[in-house]
Amino acid sequence: MDATETAAVLARARQGDGDAFRALVERHSRSAFRLAFRMTGSEQDAEDVVQEAFLRAYKQLGRFESRANFGTWLYRIVANCSVDLMRAKLSRHDMSRSESLDETVETAEISAHGGAGPERLAESAEIQRRVRDALGALSPLERAAFTLRHYEGRSIEEISATLGLGTSAAKHSVFRAVRKLRVALAPLRSQVS
Amino acid sequence: MSSHYSEDDLTLYYYREGRYASHRERSRSDLSRHLQSCAACAALYHDISSTLAMVVADEVPERGDQYGLEVWQRIRHRLPERRSGFGRFAELGRLAGFGAGFSRFFKWDRVALAGAAALLAVAAFIAGRTWQSPTTTPPVAGNLAGPGSAINPTTRGNPANSSGSDTARSRILLTSVADHLDRSERVLTEIMNTGEPGDISAEQRWAEDLVTASRLYRQDAMDAGEQSVATVLDDLERTLLEIVHSPSKIGAADLEQIRRRVDAAALLFKVRVMSEELRQREAAPDGRSAPRTSTSTVS
Repeated sequence: MDATETAAVLARARQGDGDAFRALVERHSRSAFRLAFRMTGSEQDAEDVVQEAFLRAYKQLGRFESRANFGTWLYRIVANCSVDLMRAKLSRHDMSRSESLDETVETAEISAHGGAGPERLAESAEIQRRVRDALGALSPLERAAFTLRHYEGRSIEEISATLGLGTSAAKHSVFRAVRKLRVALAPLRSQVS
Repeated sequence: MSSHYSEDDLTLYYYREGRYASHRERSRSDLSRHLQSCAACAALYHDISSTLAMVVADEVPERGDQYGLEVWQRIRHRLPERRSGFGRFAELGRLAGFGAGFSRFFKWDRVALAGAAALLAVAAFIAGRTWQSPTTTPPVAGNLAGPGSAINPTTRGNPANSSGSDTARSRILLTSVADHLDRSERVLTEIMNTGEPGDISAEQRWAEDLVTASRLYRQDAMDAGEQSVATVLDDLERTLLEIVHSPSKIGAADLEQIRRRVDAAALLFKVRVMSEELRQREAAPDGRSAPRTSTSTVS
């Protein structure tokens, strides 16, 4: 689909043409899923995010600037839907992990004392499990900002624009995430190295 | 710099952000030099970089070429309505092969059409007042719920006069949907029993015909509040679409994918049970008295 064709499809979609919107869904679903999976770390959550993101995009099509890139616009929606879903899950499970380092430290200590031996830890799968746990202990915003910075290679300014945060807030979300990960993975780091 | 760098600075340095973005930036070269001379900062930086080096991306589960279509199938019924009632007629026209011109006609001439419809309604009213005749309502789509349903305007108006024709209409629809399910079952069975990967173009043409019908029946079922029927038809439609969009010379992997989907959704079972239930309802005296427990278990 070239630029002219994309613009025409977008124009039709904005007028309520279901087939045009379907073409956009078919074109962007896989990239939306990739981002949603990175943000949430869960296949099922990523599926939910993708659907919610397209529904949100459809409702907001009227606000979409026709000169903008639909993929970039959708990227923002997916990122924010991911944050919303993670927040909703957090409140549903009543997990008050509110930005505290204490719990992360506690988790790290448990891992260090009750975990498997160095040989086992050296295995990539085990490392990945620990990393996933540590990422899971981040707040939704920290995880989103960290994912965009670390996996997606986005600059602080881009993260700020994507998540609708101030530059300082985006930067500090990344800082907090790195700090928590460093503490959580310290036992693993010392045993592996 | 005589004092130490903060963890935040070292994080920015790691990610090459802000004033540490490039070697051309003085801040970056200053920090690089500092790390060579300060053991504390070097140790902290080593901690940060080795931590972040461990955080590698999990492999993203693969999504096939049809994934976009699957997402569309899941969301399309949840999209807020943006068209008027004429939109559906336009859609039917498009499906019937009238193309985009049909849609444009409804878009631009709906005022004229509404006027004509109003005129017809007035004419029908006058004719109804002056010309009494035994009424035999022709079967029309749009009601699976049977007589007495709250969604049935004719029954609401005059139950005594309309119950017979409504029952007949309901039975016709039950039969139609049951027949449709039987036809679909045959296509699915063909696909499931195809011995080797090969040409499935005949099944695809068959499935393509069924997709449009399935969609219309599903819409009618939803309008009639028959959620379990609509759900089975929705599952069916997705699988039929997958068959339609598969390569005609299907490979083993694609064929296996379709079969897995049919199996995972227990689709053949659901289609059979639903067809059976609709036939029981069709045979029941009032078109709906057969027990409906099976619908809740299949959807």
